[in-house]
Amino acid sequence: MAEKKPTGTVLVAGAGISGIKAAIELAEVGYKVLLTDASTQIGGILAKLDYQFPTDHCGMCRMLPMVGREYSSQYCMRKSLFHENIEIMPFAEIQAVHGDAGNYKVDLLKRARYVDPSLCNELEECIAVCPVEVADEFNHGLTKRRAIYQAIPHNTPKMLAIDMQACTSCGECVKVCTSGAINLEAQDEMETREVHSIILASGVKLYNTREFEDAKSYAVSPDVVSSLAFERMMSSSGSYRDGEIKRPSDGKPAKNIAWIQCMGSRNRRQKRDYCSSICCMFALKEAVLAKEKGGPGVESTIFYMDMRTFGKGFQQYRDDAVEKHGVNLIRCRVQGVMKKPDGALEIRYFDPETNEFFIKEYDLVVLSTGQIPYETHKKWADLLNVGLDSRGLLATEEYSKIRLAGKPGLFICGSLMGLTDVSEAMSSGIAAAGEATKFLCGIGADTVKEEEIPEPTANERELSQVSVALCKCGEKPGAEGIDYALLSAELQKYHSVGEVQIVESFCKDNGETAAVDILSQTKCNRLLIGACQPFMYRQNLKNVARKAGFNSSLVEVFDLFGIARQGMTQPSIKEWTMRAAHEVRADIEKLNFKPALHVSALPINQNALVVGGGFGGMQSALSLAIRGVPVHLVEKDGQLGGYLGNNVEATVDGLAPMAKAQDMQLKVYQNKNITVHLNCEVESTVGTLGSFESKLVYKDSGETSYLHHGAVIMATGGHEGATTEYGLGTSDLVMTQGQLKKGLASGDIDVSGTENIVMIQCVGSRQKEGRRYCSRICCMWAIANALKIKEKNPDARVFILYRDVMTYGFYEQYYSKARTAGIIFMNYSLDNKPQMEMVEGKPVVKFMDTVLNEEIELTADLLVLSTGVDPEESNNKLASAFKVGLNDDGFLAEADSKWRPIEFQQVGLYLAGTAHSPMPLKSVIMQAEAAAQKAYAYLSGREVHTAGVVSKVKDAHCIRCQRCVNICPYGARSYDDMENCISVDPAACQACGMCAVECQNNAAEVAGWTDKQLFAVIDAKLMDDLLLSPVE
Amino acid sequence: MATFAKLSFNKDELNKELSGFFKGILENGAVDAVLAPMAQGKKGVRLSLVTSAANTGAVDPFAPVAAVSGAKIASSLTARPSGRKVAMVLRPCEIRATVELVKLKQVNLDDVLMIGMDCLGRYENTDFTKFQEQGGTSESFLDNAQAGKTATGDFDVAGACKICEFPAADNIDLRLCAIGSGSGAVHIEAVTEKGKAALEKSGVKIGDAPAGRDEAVKKLVAVRTEARDKKFAEFRAETDNFQALGEKLSACINCYNCRVACPVCYCKECVFVTDTFRHTGDQFMMWADKGGLLKMPNDTMFYHLTRITHMSLFCVGCGQCTSACPNDIDLMPLFRTSADKTQAKFSYQAGRSVEEEQPMAGFEADELFEVTGQAK
Repeated sequence: MAEKKPTGTVLVAGAGISGIKAAIELAEVGYKVLLTDASTQIGGILAKLDYQFPTDHCGMCRMLPMVGREYSSQYCMRKSLFHENIEIMPFAEIQAVHGDAGNYKVDLLKRARYVDPSLCNELEECIAVCPVEVADEFNHGLTKRRAIYQAIPHNTPKMLAIDMQACTSCGECVKVCTSGAINLEAQDEMETREVHSIILASGVKLYNTREFEDAKSYAVSPDVVSSLAFERMMSSSGSYRDGEIKRPSDGKPAKNIAWIQCMGSRNRRQKRDYCSSICCMFALKEAVLAKEKGGPGVESTIFYMDMRTFGKGFQQYRDDAVEKHGVNLIRCRVQGVMKKPDGALEIRYFDPETNEFFIKEYDLVVLSTGQIPYETHKKWADLLNVGLDSRGLLATEEYSKIRLAGKPGLFICGSLMGLTDVSEAMSSGIAAAGEATKFLCGIGADTVKEEEIPEPTANERELSQVSVALCKCGEKPGAEGIDYALLSAELQKYHSVGEVQIVESFCKDNGETAAVDILSQTKCNRLLIGACQPFMYRQNLKNVARKAGFNSSLVEVFDLFGIARQGMTQPSIKEWTMRAAHEVRADIEKLNFKPALHVSALPINQNALVVGGGFGGMQSALSLAIRGVPVHLVEKDGQLGGYLGNNVEATVDGLAPMAKAQDMQLKVYQNKNITVHLNCEVESTVGTLGSFESKLVYKDSGETSYLHHGAVIMATGGHEGATTEYGLGTSDLVMTQGQLKKGLASGDIDVSGTENIVMIQCVGSRQKEGRRYCSRICCMWAIANALKIKEKNPDARVFILYRDVMTYGFYEQYYSKARTAGIIFMNYSLDNKPQMEMVEGKPVVKFMDTVLNEEIELTADLLVLSTGVDPEESNNKLASAFKVGLNDDGFLAEADSKWRPIEFQQVGLYLAGTAHSPMPLKSVIMQAEAAAQKAYAYLSGREVHTAGVVSKVKDAHCIRCQRCVNICPYGARSYDDMENCISVDPAACQACGMCAVECQNNAAEVAGWTDKQLFAVIDAKLMDDLLLSPVE
Repeated sequence: MATFAKLSFNKDELNKELSGFFKGILENGAVDAVLAPMAQGKKGVRLSLVTSAANTGAVDPFAPVAAVSGAKIASSLTARPSGRKVAMVLRPCEIRATVELVKLKQVNLDDVLMIGMDCLGRYENTDFTKFQEQGGTSESFLDNAQAGKTATGDFDVAGACKICEFPAADNIDLRLCAIGSGSGAVHIEAVTEKGKAALEKSGVKIGDAPAGRDEAVKKLVAVRTEARDKKFAEFRAETDNFQALGEKLSACINCYNCRVACPVCYCKECVFVTDTFRHTGDQFMMWADKGGLLKMPNDTMFYHLTRITHMSLFCVGCGQCTSACPNDIDLMPLFRTSADKTQAKFSYQAGRSVEEEQPMAGFEADELFEVTGQAK
């Protein structure tokens, strides 16, 4: 007999958003995850942010799984995360890691929180009596908290803890706690866990101006705050009140607000020769929000060095911030802030646009503080016994941002890679989950095998009878205050209630069996369970019900104590109980009229289709193929490799795309799971997740074939843009960066005797006409070429005319290197573009120098243009074949620019690489891994269970007006021309109910939320006053 | 420049002249069928579908009656298209309802030659019978109505027509003009190229525009608009509280005739006849408990309010709801006053244009970005 395979287990260290995302993606495939965090709770930095660009809203919940929503508790992510396969362990630190790949033993120090969340009744009476007040670090000291406190105000469960540094051990809290949840003697505990793989998602330490030498020049007043503290000033759970931003020093409204960029970053003197990547967008968002939320008269000014709007949609957001919201941008590195006697903050700056010095006063100064990564990286390197690279960072494999070099089964994601925005945190989290999944597949670890509980059938013709089961919650004394006998008697008065059962405890092991015993005796066919924190236990409770013979769709759970306590101050036991009885009536009626839901499993075709044979496509294909997924790789040209793999020999960071492409091609062709289709395009597609049928057309022969597949990854890439500006194409001396790169590599362009080389950045980019976006890689290309020229001819003078140098993150070091090498960077603005004319056969470039404020003329021996990256035109065809969106620039439009960067609204469709937006090679490979993982989550199984609560069509009532099709935000509804009917993709449907609102005739209805149920709920609620009257 | 044909007729020969035109467009292949009001023997005029030129003799487009809304017929004929070209002769209110149904994908105008007639009002069905019995004809009606005399004996044109500010049709290919054409003549105006081609094919003589038409239409619209505003003010005053509204509707017996007659109430089967409203005895008892008593049949007010929420954005004010009520509830002002406000909220006018998107019919990503995460 074969040995039972172990269940794959992964430790994710760090429960910020990238760690959470990695955990969710692994859990969805079916692996067990231990998610730890050093702080008392989960959520990381994002727990502090109420608003994220570009929507200026929260959206954390959008990282939750879209298919089979009911199997992974969908809940507000800022409050908490619940998943059967994820064990969350906050307040735990990794002390040591032993063992090797596939067999790690991790020593965890679980810090004492002194309050047991499983016993806590959350009434917060302990907080009220605590005499100690200290600054609340969650709000960056803007507010105070007690020694016993809830670290994140919106957490559920509340997860109280005691800050022992502040606690005086007076014992007041212990006295008032009726549930015995507080233990002041609690000790830290050590625990050793065995895991197969580890994902590091700890993030990095952030720069704190007050801790460094900058403190004297900048941190001169409480009104100088960090950008993260400003987020708390914008939050109603922070210090935001009355529609105004309050100044910390005196609580007066802050009207004139300045942001100073690059605090602790881009500073070679301080040995921080890197950019923190996210601060520019962070500041822009805060500046816009301040204008919107700060009441009338708010002025937002950002002092910056380069406004690094390199990501998708970033430039557009910057343009809107300036043009629509009136945010002031001033290019100046401010050298300090001075506090005036009246508290005002003075900033002196030089404005290059007007060429003048200014002295201005501000109410509030926000410092855009970035990362200080070295400490965190060193700590991990020591713990894991791995090396650091020359920069002092954890060394990853050459083409990977995720895989730690020389340590199989160890991966990093999120801000450990350098500070990341939400989108990159998501991509990297998914990619890390993908790498871990590949690793687990490789060592033969298994997924969790679910206990199969057969689903009892529901007889809908039977008269509905509701059994109400109330959990007494045996060991939780918090349940005092409800008179169970009275509640039971009251509920039995309702016509639709068949019986009321009182269960000792649902959640404890023996309680579960007892509950099943009691409930199996029933004559009722519907079950309503009253328990605490139903969002945590819902799935468990449904399993109990199923064992007792209830169809799980006819089981509802409500929060017994929450319902009772609503709006009641100091109620008597009787009042409390009666209130509960009245509130529950609506739940009873909703269940009474609920139809049984039938969940059908979607069969999954295991084939994957990958469109595009560049790096993104090849990487996705290989990633899936080595896990045993059959892949069809479709490339429109005659060879694999894409633009980069066929044209670029070397990149600025020392990668060799052409050689790498050769290597990958070989692997692709050698892999028996991959079928390559060259000169081939997808013409049309029908179907949904798990069963697509695509028509492939071969360009040479004109032949067509049909391919059945379960998912698709679009990785169509891009190519260097074209321009007619600056005489490109009219002279051999004018060329693009791509042409120069090729010429330098092949030796066709000889620079040994060249004197002046002028490079112009952003040609046809970041402007209203042409490419509105930043192509992200051109600055690095220009620097790479410039350095190459300098290497060949140190006497050559290279001028780079730029608008903003986009060497974000650790690319900054190449910018420094270029300047050290004597390459001359000169800034120009869009309203004063460089001009060129040919004089005696040579290009002469004229432009305004902003430092000298003079017009400069340069005669160039070579004029090199950075013409940006264009998306493939074939995107149009692809987008219409798969009915996905394109953005205005021709790139594929992902489902959500922040939280779902790899997916489309329709499930089963994914994107990677430059098809999304221009990006460097390593990012392409990371996205490709992420896309492969998203697809693998479905392709690894034979079927997928969708949610039961999905929208349905009552065909007999449907008039085919298709208004529901137009209104569906998830593209889940479509009109089937052949069958003349509306069809719903149950995997895509998120049960938002827009269709049900739109349909005037109830032909569109969300199962489990029918009008009949809702009318009954409304009636029950309106009955309240009637039923309250007999209560005296 | 619009093209006109003048049809002069001798007394009692208006319909004979008009039938010549319809015969012409059928014979010369401009269309394969004509849907037009036609006399049914001696009594009654109903929309009829004619496919042979020989059967066009009974056309009577100007007869002041509209037994059912032609928009519903247009839907029957074209929702699942026949592929044959059909000319439809409809009143302005019917055309405006048709425009709404196009947007709801219940009418397909691809093969339709739309002919709109000037409308001076219609009598209720029973009144039209009396009108015919008293010897009234379309010719006499046109003459009298243009002189402002629509009332005959104890009846007058429908309330909806008296306050209708759309006597002339739009969104059409051809227009049958009576207003301002002078006694003894009507005009046919080609509005679109398609209309012009059909007019030329019909064989009628192309001539001049009716001289006084624009002025006459303007005057009529002004009179009706004033009447409308007066009616609105009156009705709003009469129904300014829930109880007053309840009294207006108290005669309702849930027969749902108003919904059947409404041209824009386009559902196949109304939600009010589905399971959703099949209540249990327990529920009736509960409501009786709650309110002290429960009027039966119940849900009458709920039904009318639901229809207002569903239809007021599309309401064209044709008044068929009032005409259909067996208990003489005047529903038209209820719908028109609410439509007046709801349509204004969206700067929308039901029936104005096929291109104008119906309010709240499409998903706006930037309107609901907290749901989608997509910002424009």
